[in-house]
Amino acid sequence: MTHDESFDALAAVYAVGALDGEDRLRFEAHLGEGCATCETALRESGETLAALAREAPRAIPPAHVKEALLRRIAESTAPTPRARPAPSRLRWLAGAAAAVIVVSALTAGYVSARYEARLGQMAREAAAVRERLRQDQASLNEQLALYRDVVDLLRDPASRIVSLQGQGPAPQAAARVVWNDRTGGHIFVNNLEPAPSGKAYELWTIGEGAPRPAGLVAIQPSGTGSQRIAPVPGSTSVKVFAMTLEPAEGSPDPTGPMVLASK
Amino acid sequence: MATSAELIRSMAAGDREAFAHFYDRYASLVYPLILRIVRERADAADVLQEVFWETWQTADAYDAARGTPEAWIVMRARTRAIDRVRSIRRKRETFVMPLDEVTARVTPDSAGDSAERAEDRGVILGALARLPEAQREVIELAYYGGLSQTEIADSIKQPLGTVKTRIRSGLERLRTLIKRPTGLAGWDR
Repeated sequence: MTHDESFDALAAVYAVGALDGEDRLRFEAHLGEGCATCETALRESGETLAALAREAPRAIPPAHVKEALLRRIAESTAPTPRARPAPSRLRWLAGAAAAVIVVSALTAGYVSARYEARLGQMAREAAAVRERLRQDQASLNEQLALYRDVVDLLRDPASRIVSLQGQGPAPQAAARVVWNDRTGGHIFVNNLEPAPSGKAYELWTIGEGAPRPAGLVAIQPSGTGSQRIAPVPGSTSVKVFAMTLEPAEGSPDPTGPMVLASK
Repeated sequence: MATSAELIRSMAAGDREAFAHFYDRYASLVYPLILRIVRERADAADVLQEVFWETWQTADAYDAARGTPEAWIVMRARTRAIDRVRSIRRKRETFVMPLDEVTARVTPDSAGDSAERAEDRGVILGALARLPEAQREVIELAYYGGLSQTEIADSIKQPLGTVKTRIRSGLERLRTLIKRPTGLAGWDR
């Protein structure tokens, strides 16, 4: 990218720290390639803005700042490798070579150093967004699998929808079961208080014989819950669905109060 | 007297006394700038300390080809002051300060009668005040207010291209208006 007039304006906006978006990327890429015209423009703008500061009346800063700085410097590591022994000729050459490398690295790193802090922050924000997206996606996949399953069920002419009404302690509760005697089904519950601690809601299928346990159904604080129901092995047909409040680990036979039942 | 560039070289070699001289030479120059941007004295003192601490730590990275020591430290002071204003803004959980608030901060008309405000006016009445209003406004919003070109365009309801052109023309005019006092020039060579 060779220098053209459009970069003059970008250099000016960059000098006052206001370049953003695409323009900044474009200009920094241009600078990175080493444009003498823009480097001169930036240097001159820097001097102009510094002169602006010089026009203002000076103000004596609070004395504690200098004291704090001098203390901080004294406390920071004793002048480490800075006070070096007199270098040999070879070491001097190595040093000079290193200095060349440092200077060119500085030139290349000039732009990145200036925005390092901001880039770091953006990286952290991006990571947070990625994590949120990952969680959202996992939960969406779960929901999608559920919906797909239910749609498959509904396509089957042998499937039926059974309504369950609230009973005794939960008259406002309601539920629907999408059911297929061969493949099982799903229950969707509404308006039911979550089970008290130490308790759980257990679903029952009732065919010819005694009620069979059909799994525990977790109810969210919103009063809703859904659960896959496995088909009843070897059974003819389920005639009634019912839900009771049982101990948290479930029970082989219904013992607690009935909260939902189909007709 | 050592030049500022020499002082920075000595700082890079770990010379604390050179740092003390460097501080004395520039603290009173950058402090008003920082105060103007961050407003609160306590914040300004913090930023000032941060800025000079960085000069101590990065003295070996100073490159005279990029600019004078004065431009080096003024640019750093302005950047750190704007960083501070933005972080305060973030802490208040409003990511962008309402634009009219920023505008008010940098508009001389809003200044009161305190000595501090008079200092602000001193700046305005210098080279900046001799710019056409439209150019002065965009440079102040950017340089002292920390607004990006897009935010400025929103704020003054002008196309982005106009903002860029005004900044460029304004800076060019400033450059011709400002003449370096010869008495100080020797420090920076």
